[in-house]
Amino acid sequence: MTMNELRKSFHHDLDDVRAELVHLAAFVTEAIPRATNILLTGDLEGADYIISGDDEIDARALDLEDRCVQILALQSPVATDLRQILAALRMIAEVERSADLVCNICKAARRIYGHALDPSLRGIITRMGEQAQQLYIAAIEAFVENDAAKAAAIDDMDNFLDALQKQFVQAIFESHSAGNIDLQVAVQLAVVARFYERIGDHAVNIGERVRYVVTGWMPEHKGAARYRSRTDDTGQTLRPNPAALGSAIDDAAHAHDEPTTPVTADSDANGEGPGGV
Amino acid sequence: MTALWLLVGLLVGAVGAALFLRRADARAKPIIDTAEQAASRAAAETELRAARIQAALDALPIGVIVVDGDARMVVRNRASDDSGGDTHNEVLVQAAVQHHLRAAVRGEERSQTVELYGPPRRVVIVHAKPLNGKGAVATIEDVTERSRVDSVRTDFVANISHELKTPIGALAVLAETLIDESDPTVVSRLAGKTVNEAHRVAKIIDDLLELSRIELSGDLVIAPCDVAALVGDAASRNSYAAEQRRVEVRVCEVPPGLSINADQVQLASALGNLVDNAVKYSEVGGKVTIAAFPENDGVTFVVTDSGIGIPTHDLDRIFERFYRVDRARARGTGGTGLGLSIVRHVTSNHGGAVTVESREGEGSTFRLHIPDRPAG
Repeated sequence: MTMNELRKSFHHDLDDVRAELVHLAAFVTEAIPRATNILLTGDLEGADYIISGDDEIDARALDLEDRCVQILALQSPVATDLRQILAALRMIAEVERSADLVCNICKAARRIYGHALDPSLRGIITRMGEQAQQLYIAAIEAFVENDAAKAAAIDDMDNFLDALQKQFVQAIFESHSAGNIDLQVAVQLAVVARFYERIGDHAVNIGERVRYVVTGWMPEHKGAARYRSRTDDTGQTLRPNPAALGSAIDDAAHAHDEPTTPVTADSDANGEGPGGV
Repeated sequence: MTALWLLVGLLVGAVGAALFLRRADARAKPIIDTAEQAASRAAAETELRAARIQAALDALPIGVIVVDGDARMVVRNRASDDSGGDTHNEVLVQAAVQHHLRAAVRGEERSQTVELYGPPRRVVIVHAKPLNGKGAVATIEDVTERSRVDSVRTDFVANISHELKTPIGALAVLAETLIDESDPTVVSRLAGKTVNEAHRVAKIIDDLLELSRIELSGDLVIAPCDVAALVGDAASRNSYAAEQRRVEVRVCEVPPGLSINADQVQLASALGNLVDNAVKYSEVGGKVTIAAFPENDGVTFVVTDSGIGIPTHDLDRIFERFYRVDRARARGTGGTGLGLSIVRHVTSNHGGAVTVESREGEGSTFRLHIPDRPAG
């Protein structure tokens, strides 16, 4: 096989991986409104259909991962090609997990079967489902078009879904206090809101991987840069002066009349990272 | 001298040879030209035929894809490229097409109905067939509208039988119980229920007759209608029901002197039904707002409620006869399931448009636009 043929075959494999990944993501995108409707109408048959369909997603995701690993092992891609494969590996996991969350919504539908929900709760569930689907549609389009700008916009769209989740939790409290839903249903609904929110987060992650493929940038780079800026030449993490920090904490503790533990270098040695400080 | 003749001889020979070659070339050229022309003509004809076939395929409303024996695409028409909808919908349809084409290349005929949840919802039939062992052809047909009409027809029969049989069944049971009942308290209670059910049947029949009249009346009685009076009338007709449910009905100020040429009876009926619907599906203590204003050579009536709202997937079906979003709740409201159907027919008779925006838990807004017509 000539070098040209090898390259052609590699790009053919890469296109196949991309197409299959888009196909998997399209499955999830289509399943989100289905799951919402199943939840709102108590469609047990539909719930079974979605839950049993998840096995196929799992199998296809595993196959796709194997293909990515094969490409890595046999073709040793570099630069953009390497980023494509690495990003695809991460995206497969995001899509697969999203499919699991859609299944979880259907399982919750089984658990709250027979319980009537307030129109306000139903309305917010519908909107969360619509928004989660919109995030996924945007993620697929950004991936298909290699559009870093569109991918960056997904994060902003997710803020709206997060706000809906908070609004939903408030509505659950109100409905429960009014005696319209019992505690068990309230808890299930709160968990459902979390599922939608997590689906949105996975779509955001897909968008970030698209940005990585196109620009080589990842949001983790920001945190890594911050971390490096706190590290000196010897590799030691630079920390604020413990004495100064301790006095500042003492001042704050006196102000609130609460006891506090002074932060020392020992606490870091015991496993507290920079976040602990 | 001899040398001169030799030179002349050479020159003559050269010219002769040149002339011979030229003639030979002249003789040969037409033969080559004809072959080239024939080949070029054949190529042009093939191209033209291919273009005609492609144009014919592009004119088809269904998608067509032809593949060779290795499942490689040979030809596809425009409809197969984009059957409408988001990328993910397209991906799912194309994946089904590829899957069935591969099977068809192996000699299996395949067909699948792909139901896409959307939104918008779509139903697509994918059919793949082998082509004498030399590839396969797939067709992609969007049957969303056909499927919707089928579903409307099926639901209509089920809904009408439910709506008519339920009160009649209740009447029969109540009457049978009354025959054997001697306790005056129970008799009074059962008689009250019988009257309610009888009123319910009467209301359904009234609405059916009104709908039938509106559907059949070809000629509208067009006359100038005072818009403020129409709005006020719709509010006052529903004031009793609104008081019962403690729903506040607020009429926004109508521009003074605003009038429209329309069929007053039909318009009053449509507006009354919209307000009736808004009051019925408002929560206790809710608010209904009625507004009217001139817009695009006509008048737009807007009825907004802060009620329970309508689920998104029911929005395009609520104007169907006897369609119920929530059957259990609808029965409690005393509606017949014909109100919005009447609104749609009145709007259609006037060449107008009725739209709805709604969110569950937030309420609904109905917009009824009636274009002005010459009085007759």
